[in-house]
Amino acid sequence: MNSEASPWRHVYRWDLDKTYLDTHFEKFSRMVRIAFESAEEKRNIPGSAALLRELSADGGEDVGAARVCILSGSPRQMRSVLEKKLRSDGIVWHEFELKPQWENIRRGRFKAIRDQVGYKLPLLLSSRAAMSGDVRETLFGDDAEADTFIYCLYADIVAGRVDAPTLVRLLRSMSAYPDAIETCLDAMAQLDPFEAVERIFIHLDRGTPPAWFAPFGDLVVPVFNYFQAALVLFTEGHLDAQGVLRVTRAFREADERDTMELANLFQDIQRRGHMTAGAMQRLAAAVREQRSATLEGEVVTVCEDRFVALGPAATRSSLGSTSVRDWDELVDHQRRRPHG
Amino acid sequence: MTTTVALDCMGGDHGPQEAVRGAAALSLKRQDIRLILVGDAPILSDLLDDCAYNPAQLSIEHAGEWVEQHEKPREALKAKPNASILVACRSVAEGRAQSIVTAGSTGAAILAADFCLGRIPGVHRAALAAVTPTELSHGPREDPFALLLDVGATLHATAEDLVTFAVMGSAYASAISGNDNPRLALLSNGTEPEKGPAEVVEAHKLLVGMESLNFVGNVEGLDIPRGTVDVVVTSGFLGNVVLKMVEGIGEVISDLASDAYARKFLWRLGLTMLSSGLKEIESVMDWESYGGAPILGFRHPVLKAHGRSRSRALGNACKVAAKAARSDMVRVVEDSLAALPETIGS
Repeated sequence: MNSEASPWRHVYRWDLDKTYLDTHFEKFSRMVRIAFESAEEKRNIPGSAALLRELSADGGEDVGAARVCILSGSPRQMRSVLEKKLRSDGIVWHEFELKPQWENIRRGRFKAIRDQVGYKLPLLLSSRAAMSGDVRETLFGDDAEADTFIYCLYADIVAGRVDAPTLVRLLRSMSAYPDAIETCLDAMAQLDPFEAVERIFIHLDRGTPPAWFAPFGDLVVPVFNYFQAALVLFTEGHLDAQGVLRVTRAFREADERDTMELANLFQDIQRRGHMTAGAMQRLAAAVREQRSATLEGEVVTVCEDRFVALGPAATRSSLGSTSVRDWDELVDHQRRRPHG
Repeated sequence: MTTTVALDCMGGDHGPQEAVRGAAALSLKRQDIRLILVGDAPILSDLLDDCAYNPAQLSIEHAGEWVEQHEKPREALKAKPNASILVACRSVAEGRAQSIVTAGSTGAAILAADFCLGRIPGVHRAALAAVTPTELSHGPREDPFALLLDVGATLHATAEDLVTFAVMGSAYASAISGNDNPRLALLSNGTEPEKGPAEVVEAHKLLVGMESLNFVGNVEGLDIPRGTVDVVVTSGFLGNVVLKMVEGIGEVISDLASDAYARKFLWRLGLTMLSSGLKEIESVMDWESYGGAPILGFRHPVLKAHGRSRSRALGNACKVAAKAARSDMVRVVEDSLAALPETIGS
């Protein structure tokens, strides 16, 4: 791996379907419609575009630019529509990978059509191998398929916590094709162990209970929406107060949320230990400083009330703690996932 | 219109788990009902994380103490100023919620509501009202149950109390069942006006003269399961005995049917052939579907769920509590009581 200092201040990796774009469907007809939607018809998950814009905003020469890598399970045939959609949202990306579904069909690799692990993990590792060693990453996925499993495995490989024989065993147990395993091993060989993955946000598109993610450790933050993600990213220094307010405004407008709902969402992410009391106070102070933001000021006041109402549960924090993942157990856990 | 219900999660026989599950399930189904889960916040938080839920509809208010069923309510509330039922009542008094649901001690709920919410002017005693399954249906929605009150809020009731219960029961039936003119009766040992204890005879005289109520006279015990009236008024002692007997009969019938099913093939065959009818009876007798018993007389609705309530019953109780808060029930009771002769309403 290139050991020079990274030109990037941070890497943000995003999935598209159910993470950035609202492609949730209950009926087959909706699924078909999604496949043929134009860029203009595609809908965002409320707040996703605002959040990605904030994260990827130019930080100036001192801090460097953020690298945006998009890795989606959508077929390559959708590239032009998806690129048009991202451009119209004001998103600038540096990597954009889509699944070679036609090639999978042509080569008779039918398992690969649905497989996510054997598709995403080699691409993540190859992308990482091409970067310098000291850049950190934040990943965004959803609970529909295997994003949590893939992202955590990726984090452990990059950090040197998973060795090659274990990786091979895991990928074989997940029915990955030999060439996918080979690509992973090649990329892994180029990596110097580095604690690169800072946080993994999982958008709860399917409403999976948050406790289901506990075995994956505190690296994973399940969020019901991007208002909650923005609060955590503020706590961790990725967004400033103004950035949080812009995401909140976008989320609020797109999802038609009132003050009480936002306060409840705030308390939810806070009681799960993903936002500290200090961060809450900093955000409140910043909002109060800007006198025009009466609406946001109202939200913050109610959030502070919700914070006090939590009593001893308000002081819990899962940020900054680490846990060791048992990958054999996680394979079983992944197979037993809700909505599986 | 969105309504917020404060759910005391700590008092039920099955602990906070069932309350949290019920609330979580309701949060996914009803966007018009928000819930404040009151109880030990770290415990509630962990339980909630095990559920699928909509976080926009739920919040938690910490209460590190709660009243146990075996405790004397007055002493317990004095010793535990932050008991969950008190915190739930305060959340309503301070405007964060509009109604309360608890599966905890009835006595503690009544006292806490009395301390925090206050009674409607003219109400001297609160009344616990329960729905009992009936043969005949009631109201425009053809509900298969009638309202019985008081079923245990207070042991004794004066004639004036019984009249107040009649006004409150009528207003509640009207608000919740959409029954504009509910038929109302006093429970006695005969239909004649002079039958029964002195307070029932006196209450009969007072109710006959009240044009705002659809008072039809006295009914006997057998009229309760028949469902000849929509609201039956009695004292807390008698009402509680009647309610428990109705519940007991339902459980015994169910046990006998299970026993018969196990014993003889012919009986099993017979029960199988009757299964759809039996299921219908079972659904009418299913107290979990009715949600809870309102404690009437306070300035905000208070719903007492059965101590044995599981998540479904508690979820249904929250729906009823939200409906009661949205309705004009308290105002109707206030207006009706204000119109009573001074000897009763003062």
